[in-house]
Amino acid sequence: MTDTPAPNSNAAAAGEAAQIIDRGYRSYDGPRTGLPGSIRSVVRYSVRHTLGLGRAARHKILPWLAVVIALVPAVVFVGLAVVLDIDMIEDEILPDYHEYYDFITTALFFYCAIIVPDILVADRRNGMLQLYLSTPLQRWSYLASKALAVAAALAVLTMGPVLFLLIARTIEGSGPGGLIEWIKIFVRIIAAGAAISAAFTMASLAAASLTDRRLFATIGVVVLLWGSGFTTLALVEAADMGAQVYAFDLGGIADELKNRIYGVEGSDPFGAPESPDEDAFQPGAGRDQLSTLFVVAANFAWVALGSAVVWWRYRRLALSR
Amino acid sequence: MSIVTTQALTQRFGSTVALDALDLQMQPGVTGLVGANGAGKTTLLNAMLGLRIPTSGSLTVLGYDPQRAGHRLRANVGFAPERNVLPDEMRAVDFVRHLAEVQGLPRGEARNRASDTLWLVGLGEERLRTLGTMSTGQRQRVKLAQAIASDPKLVLLDEPTDGLDPVQRSEMLTLIGQISRDFSINVVLSSHQLEEVERVCDHVVALDAGRLVACGPISVLVGAGDGITLELVDVAEPSGSVDAVEAALRAGGLNVRRHEATLALRGAAFEDLCDRSRDAVAAAGARIRRLETRRRTLEDLFEDAAR
Repeated sequence: MTDTPAPNSNAAAAGEAAQIIDRGYRSYDGPRTGLPGSIRSVVRYSVRHTLGLGRAARHKILPWLAVVIALVPAVVFVGLAVVLDIDMIEDEILPDYHEYYDFITTALFFYCAIIVPDILVADRRNGMLQLYLSTPLQRWSYLASKALAVAAALAVLTMGPVLFLLIARTIEGSGPGGLIEWIKIFVRIIAAGAAISAAFTMASLAAASLTDRRLFATIGVVVLLWGSGFTTLALVEAADMGAQVYAFDLGGIADELKNRIYGVEGSDPFGAPESPDEDAFQPGAGRDQLSTLFVVAANFAWVALGSAVVWWRYRRLALSR
Repeated sequence: MSIVTTQALTQRFGSTVALDALDLQMQPGVTGLVGANGAGKTTLLNAMLGLRIPTSGSLTVLGYDPQRAGHRLRANVGFAPERNVLPDEMRAVDFVRHLAEVQGLPRGEARNRASDTLWLVGLGEERLRTLGTMSTGQRQRVKLAQAIASDPKLVLLDEPTDGLDPVQRSEMLTLIGQISRDFSINVVLSSHQLEEVERVCDHVVALDAGRLVACGPISVLVGAGDGITLELVDVAEPSGSVDAVEAALRAGGLNVRRHEATLALRGAAFEDLCDRSRDAVAAAGARIRRLETRRRTLEDLFEDAAR
């Protein structure tokens, strides 16, 4: 190590002489972070990667568009209620916490279909996977890191806007009455966000694990998220099948779990207005017949299925000969 | 103490035998892993990292079994893969820092060492450039930098000179020698270029179609059995004088390799080789254009194995 006093006499006089430090490559005998440090680093890097941080501007557009889609309605609602101070807006228009997820769903689907596949596909295409697996990371810990990263990014979408709504309403004075009620709402926001993120994370990763092409992975996610909903709807309407079929509707069953967490049952997953005609078919009708245990189990099944597909794919994945 | 030991290590892919009952030991220093494409070099490196489960046999690296203690082993091993594809949009310093963190260095230390390592490999001024804008030579250096940034005990380099021009290749080999000599990092260098292994390595492991051809100190394997190069002028009378010289030397039990009018001879003491060459040339009526000492090369090792 070479320490060279700086020519700045003022700094030297202040006893803070600047130094040019030529450290050079040297041995390292200090502490190492082990597997937890490896996982932390991959999670941090992957979250930044999916949000486009530290990347060219073109990589930031889509992820932040999703964040804007999720957050802007909350900002607008709160702005109208607070700035204009119109009671009608507060009472009639400002959505309840569980209702706000209708705005989040679009951003969530968009994010899962366009952004998430890149988190696995890119590593396989650019050689990072082989490099990661030559470190203390194993296949399971690599995949766990990636799943945590996706879940964290999705949590920004599923929890962020609703937490913003809660905090804004609390500040504005129309929030939950009392600390206990506030904590209840807070826990529900976290639990609902975590539940939705878990199901969507594993479904998206499963689709992304099956192909090395981003476009195909995106198509896979679209088929899973939208396709399962429309197929289930068709089965219920055309084949007059039981409400249990809703278990195959990933978006619907995750939405239903959110409703159960908020204590609301059998809402319309597609946001359709209530029909004045009682004979007309209502999408999502009958989901309230499902037991909460069934809804929880169905969501667990989606997470387990996604995890199994990802693990099956990566367990068999040959890096090179 | 050996850094790598294998016993009857076998790796099969269906009916293909990639590693065929390898028994070898790699000693500290720079070890060259040589062989043609498809000889099993990358397969052996992957097995050493625990990325492949051997079909049979045993393997220990730095005293660890890669299958049972892979994560502990890999915390002490740096790896630069052959594949020349890296995340294009990442800056070199971010790439090296990230992999140093994944390798187990604390964040601050990883940041500092990423810069230090890039300066070491000659990319200090280029460290803020994205990988996609770098030349093949620079990317090879970045791969080397990420492999050594965490100060591993062992570095596995898979074809690190692939795609480099002669000047870049020479610089890379100098760098690899420096890493081992100055920082006491053991290196396993996989290459199909025999001359670069001879230049920089202390030991050699030679593979051919998954079989072990040679294993040991390069000075012993290459230095032993020096021969001579004999370049002749094929005169008109008597015709076929070079053929006659070659036949006479072969008849005398020497190892003769011919390229046009040049004969490479091994198989006897140096003085004896010279005497017998002189006699054969005189008897055939040929003329000598050049006669010089010729060191035994790794190429000879492979040729001997093929016989």
